[in-house]
Amino acid sequence: MKKFKMDVKMRDLLLTNAIAVVLGLVVSGVMILILGKSPIEAFGNFFSSLVRDQYTFADIFVKATPLIFTALAFAFTFKANLFNIGAQGQFYIGAVIAASVSLLLGEKIPGILALLIVLILTIIGGGIWGAFIGFVKAKYKANEFLVSMMSTYVALNIMNYLLRTFLMETKGEYPQTNPLLKEVWLPKLIDGTRLHLGFILAVLTAIGIWILLYKTTLGYRIRVVGLNDNAAHMSGINSNKIYVIAFFISGALAAMAGFTEVNGVQHMLVQGFNPNIGSAGLGIAILANANPIGIIFASILFGALNVGGTIMGELSGIPSSIIELMQGFVMIFVILSYFVRGRMEIGREKKKIQLQGKENKLQKAVEQ
Amino acid sequence: MINLLARALMMSTPLLYGSIAEVFAERSGMMVTAIEGIFLMGAWGGFVGAYLSGSLFIGILVAILAGLVTAAVYGVICIHFGQHQVVTGAAINILVLGLCSFLYRVIFGVPITPLTVEPLKTIPIPLLSQIPLVGRVLFNQNILTYIMYLIVPIAYFILYKTSIGLTIRSTGENPEAVDVAGLSVQGIRFAMVLISGVMGGVAGAFYSIGYLGMFTTNMIGGRGWIAFAICFLGNWSPKGALFGTLVFGLTEALAIYMQSSGTGGIFPNELFIALPYILAIVLTITRKSFNVPAKLGVAYRKEN
Repeated sequence: MKKFKMDVKMRDLLLTNAIAVVLGLVVSGVMILILGKSPIEAFGNFFSSLVRDQYTFADIFVKATPLIFTALAFAFTFKANLFNIGAQGQFYIGAVIAASVSLLLGEKIPGILALLIVLILTIIGGGIWGAFIGFVKAKYKANEFLVSMMSTYVALNIMNYLLRTFLMETKGEYPQTNPLLKEVWLPKLIDGTRLHLGFILAVLTAIGIWILLYKTTLGYRIRVVGLNDNAAHMSGINSNKIYVIAFFISGALAAMAGFTEVNGVQHMLVQGFNPNIGSAGLGIAILANANPIGIIFASILFGALNVGGTIMGELSGIPSSIIELMQGFVMIFVILSYFVRGRMEIGREKKKIQLQGKENKLQKAVEQ
Repeated sequence: MINLLARALMMSTPLLYGSIAEVFAERSGMMVTAIEGIFLMGAWGGFVGAYLSGSLFIGILVAILAGLVTAAVYGVICIHFGQHQVVTGAAINILVLGLCSFLYRVIFGVPITPLTVEPLKTIPIPLLSQIPLVGRVLFNQNILTYIMYLIVPIAYFILYKTSIGLTIRSTGENPEAVDVAGLSVQGIRFAMVLISGVMGGVAGAFYSIGYLGMFTTNMIGGRGWIAFAICFLGNWSPKGALFGTLVFGLTEALAIYMQSSGTGGIFPNELFIALPYILAIVLTITRKSFNVPAKLGVAYRKEN
């Protein structure tokens, strides 16, 4: 009986989310109509382009990779009822560390070892940057929402400063680093595409986070703090410690997106790249109901919107802001689908109670 | 020095509109996390309205309308559908970002040179502007700054001296009581969100047509969040908001001054750009005894 109920919920989730995505695309289509273009032709281009060749199809997963990380970053603290909306900044910090360490180690250490060191330092650096938010929350009761939001702008300016000075390319022309040596590039998964090992890393991380949250004591504690801070305190869980740990992991996750982007895709650090990756991650986390496994699929969806949107723009002459527009509309409808699901759930409960009432009456009648 | 102070006051203006808007909304229990998007929509609306009509006044009206619509969408989702305020705000902020640059393209195509309008002029007030120092700082500003002078006392009066203000504050502290008194909690909250849309729209217009005379999608760049933070740091009171905006306005004017004059010395420009945000973090950490409205961010559902 219980299993059946879970299935119904899952079905609702998939169904309402699918409808939400379609509605989001339909409204975006209306916007294309306003532009004076044909949405049918545009979406025709959108879908046919996604499968037109191996390179484009693989790019969906390339784009999904960093999104998995930033979505996990938001979802992880969300489970502890904390808000980390500074994933964008943690991503930049991760990218800065990944780029500078890679440039430093590129020649001196064999590739695989260098990559491993880069990854570990990125995780530590991003983790500390994130843990600061949890620390001031624990120690000074500082509002983590505000601190994380503001820390993004600080991180952005740190990156801009470094790209103008220490990290700037030798040519000194643009605010970007020298290209990384091939030895510290993340290995390609399929030749002739941009798909790199980072995607596997992202999927494994998502599975790891799921295990951490649902199969370990730490994960249990994090979720208890999220459900009821007071109850957690009563049962001897030190929520201050949880704040710091949760934010460390969250910051490290977002920073890993910086690592995969720098070492896997860009192969250098460019000023102001991927400016919406933090907020898109938030949207994905919501779409996936903060479930780490769901995040993998939702990220692939957003990756497809990204790739398809760009090509649609090139082929049909539609500005690339259509991508944010589609993502925004999809997010709005997904949020509304939470409401619809709530209604469906209430409807079912009511029915159940009515049925029970009838059964009770019958039973009484029989007894009499 | 005088220029710096005058500049500080000017930069404070949109922040004050935004933070007072936020004070009213949050006192009623609504965190308007869409404030960044409302600012951007206002900046867009202000520019488009002013450019197409040739009148800055119409520009401001369009900005108000744009802010109002954005706030209404936010309000409907959060209040009537009872959805999460932080999450909804984030979605709206992304949507607005796409919408503004998309619609800009729809209306103007791809202009070769950036489109500009003549920004709001300063209106020196006769006699008052002649007062040394004070006059040149306070009474040689544009119309939106003059209106700002009136906003704080009016907001204070409404919030603390009228029954409307009492109702607004109760809605944030104890919505059940407001409900029992026969008033609509959701209606009051929606009204407050709409007001913040109007004021946030004007604030956004200040950036596009108030002094730059142009529009880019990154022109707000976190100023909405600064206004949001000021409301927290000012302890949800109009007086606190005034103090907070002046501090942030001064920081921002200082940053612009340092950058343009090159007197920053050994300190990099980026430090000055980041200064308001660093300040916000420091203040968030050091500020004690917050007086958070009890039901801030909690959706209200009527018990049957």
